[in-house]
Amino acid sequence: MTVQRHVAVMACVLAATALFTAFCHDQFLLSLAFTGLIFAVLGQSWNWISGYAGQVSFGHALFFGTGAYASALFATHHGSPWLALACGAAVAVVLALLVGFPCFALRGHYFSIATIAVAAIAEIVVVNTDALGKANGFELPILPPGLASLQFAGKAPYVLVALVLFAAAQIATVALEHSRTGYYLRAIRANQEAAASVGVDARAVKVTAFAGAAAFAALAGSLYAQQTLFVDAESTLGLSVSIAIALVGVVGGIGTVWGPPLGAFVYTFLARYVAALYGGHGRGFDLLLYGALILAIVSVQPEGIAGIARRFRART
Amino acid sequence: MSDEPLLRVRGLEKRFGELRALDGFDLDVAEGRLTALIGPNGAGKTTAFACIAGAQRPSAGSVRFKGREVAGLPYHRIARLGVARTYQVVQTFDAMSVVEAVTVGALLRRPKLSEARAWADEILGFVGLHAKRTMLGRSLTIADKKRLELARALSTEPRLILLDEVMAGLTPTECADAVKLLRSILARGVTILMVEHVMEVLMPLADRVVVLAAGKPIFAGSPQAAAADPLVIEAYLGRP
Ligand SMILES: Nc1ncnc2c1ncn2[C@@H]1O[C@H](COP(=O)(O)OP(=O)(O)O)[C@@H](O)[C@H]1O
Ligand SMILES: [Mg+2]
Repeated sequence: MTVQRHVAVMACVLAATALFTAFCHDQFLLSLAFTGLIFAVLGQSWNWISGYAGQVSFGHALFFGTGAYASALFATHHGSPWLALACGAAVAVVLALLVGFPCFALRGHYFSIATIAVAAIAEIVVVNTDALGKANGFELPILPPGLASLQFAGKAPYVLVALVLFAAAQIATVALEHSRTGYYLRAIRANQEAAASVGVDARAVKVTAFAGAAAFAALAGSLYAQQTLFVDAESTLGLSVSIAIALVGVVGGIGTVWGPPLGAFVYTFLARYVAALYGGHGRGFDLLLYGALILAIVSVQPEGIAGIARRFRART
Repeated sequence: MSDEPLLRVRGLEKRFGELRALDGFDLDVAEGRLTALIGPNGAGKTTAFACIAGAQRPSAGSVRFKGREVAGLPYHRIARLGVARTYQVVQTFDAMSVVEAVTVGALLRRPKLSEARAWADEILGFVGLHAKRTMLGRSLTIADKKRLELARALSTEPRLILLDEVMAGLTPTECADAVKLLRSILARGVTILMVEHVMEVLMPLADRVVVLAAGKPIFAGSPQAAAADPLVIEAYLGRP
């Protein structure tokens, strides 16, 4: 797709979502829209490293959780939520550098396994740290609503804030596709050896993309915490969150600008349906279902929905 | 160090377990010339390229490029210093289009994408692949994949280019085209070190031939002298 086309699609999606938010008074639908946008940002940031560069991570919740806990800590200690956004993103970048450097010495499945391990370690650390609320988590104090507290009376303003973050993630992805780093990421996925033969420092490029992705995922985590006003280890750092993010990335189509938003849309409805079907007793079942879905997509339709759309366009 | 050749290899060794793929390899490549590296299958030619370019770490020995020790440096660092290569077994970027693949190489010296794309197009014209610029790497014929690798290597504006059997599997017409292309690469001032089996191709092109057998150089001199050397003939045909 050309940049003009991306801009056109982007304008339509933004306008449609804004209109929907302005006229919808169903709080449940609005919270679905919010979740969808948050997952679109998560899936997109995952896509940078796992789609474009082909280094599949099953630990992306690490950065989502970092942002969520940053917001929770700042709110509890009377800090500004805006500072929490910045600090969460900064800590996520540092974590990405620390984790990325050793993990990107590994390739393929070994990298994937390492990412699971790192996120699991983070979850264990949080569950055993008093200052982080242990396994019980945190309730964020309720503050007077407004932009200063980043808390709002209804769901609609949350959707709009998430929409801004989503737009930023989409713009960053289009920019990435048209940058040296974007070309290098795709070359690494295609053939890391050959990329190195033309001067690509694969590890440095991957770590850079990983750090950028971590920042976006942390911002999504912060907004999520501001909206739910509750944070715990399992729902922000757990393997099921990481798997859900990977599912979002894979369903829509890896290595594309519009794949993750499509995947987020599908996932959001799927998740509600699964939750409604099994109520609170479905623990672990969702993980199984999503894992099976990822495997099925990767083996049958590796290019996701975006791939189907492209094939359809090519035929007509 | 003005009298030092562009590339100087001394005592290069590469062991794979018990096997000594390179066992005291010496080589001089003069700037602006075409040097040929020949030898029977399994002699260690591809391994020598990998060790010079940095794809593999030599077990011992020295590789000096532009007067600077580069043995053991990471692959991408040596590429940045000005060494490019093609692979005997092609390593194209299958999922990228031809122009995108060459742009990846072009971005090394031209970080701005628009400039890199323009340079990639120029190089594609130079190697005669411009008409196929939007095709995916995976859908090219072997001959075109080799051309694409050559374009990708050239797009980094190397001082030295290592070509590993670029002509293998080409038809006679394609071979004649390739020879013309090699001459124009030399005319651009790029130094060439190439592995090639067909002596008729090398005779008029190469300034020097180095013959490798079982990881050791057994001859270095003009192509005519190589063809007449009893040691070289024995290495190729085996002991009578
Ligand atoms: N990665 C490797 N591991 C083990 N042995 C190798 C490896 N690469 C090459 N060899 C061996 O090293 C020797 C030299 O191989 P190569 O450099 O490919 O020779 P040439 O290019 O001259 O045909 C061969 O015996 C080959 O089997
Ligand atoms: Mg070989």
